[in-house]
Amino acid sequence: MPDKTTALLFRTAVLTFEELGFLLPSEEVDARQAAAAPSAMVSLDFVGPFAGTLLLRLYGDLLPELASNMLGEEEAPPLQEQLDALGEVTNVICGNLLPAIAGREQVFDLGEPRVAAGASPADDADFGELRAETVVGLAGGRAELSLYVRAEVKV
Amino acid sequence: MSLNVLIVDDSSVMRTMIKKTLKLSGLPVGEIFEAENGAVALERLDEHWMDLALVDINMPVMNGIDLIEEIRRRPAIADLVIMVVSTESSETRIEALRNMGVDFVHKPFTPEMIKQKIENLTGVCADAGQDDSPAVPDSGPDF
Repeated sequence: MPDKTTALLFRTAVLTFEELGFLLPSEEVDARQAAAAPSAMVSLDFVGPFAGTLLLRLYGDLLPELASNMLGEEEAPPLQEQLDALGEVTNVICGNLLPAIAGREQVFDLGEPRVAAGASPADDADFGELRAETVVGLAGGRAELSLYVRAEVKV
Repeated sequence: MSLNVLIVDDSSVMRTMIKKTLKLSGLPVGEIFEAENGAVALERLDEHWMDLALVDINMPVMNGIDLIEEIRRRPAIADLVIMVVSTESSETRIEALRNMGVDFVHKPFTPEMIKQKIENLTGVCADAGQDDSPAVPDSGPDF
């Protein structure tokens, strides 16, 4: 059974992909989704009662569908806008997740999403202590989310 | 009467989503301006009359909180109707925003949420009919 933080991370990601990306996430990841190649990665730093990074790795050819869904267009926008769309998804997940963990009275400041296509050197970066991670099945791919905490501030 | 709207968000995709929502809402929207941060938003406000600003919180260069504080300090635009469209979930910060005379829509939003909030804030209804004239008060802004 996942701990509370992991459950919140999964639920927040599912709701965001559903409501913002108009995708149908699944808890189970099938063989095709598991074998999908990396397509993009986003890291988003935050500070507040605790500081850290939310990391989202996207696998499979999902960026065009995600961006065109968000924009209500049949054709996918240019890659830069596709990456921007994924950055906004990560921003919404993080903005909803942190108060759900820390309490609605707490204030967090989010940084700018750093988005990179494909594999990124940031894969090897030290993001701090891993507090929660989850996987969401999405069409022909998946999203892996990891919540890292670097510093905890006593409030 | 049509509303000139300023959309302030560092995500171009989000700005496009909000713009489409406005156009589909049936609200009498005039010109729509965009800014990717608070500093650019202030330039747009210097250049054009706005009836409504839809503002994100977390942005580089100048964030939404600093932008709103600056707007409220400037007599010519201090009364601008502002709606924050953000992932912000902190009740502390939302209450602080409301104390600055700002309403709030949470991301992810539905088009209906945006439409209803704008109707409530501006008193302009979706069925008000299209009119090209911006909603500038008769007396004009007090520059």
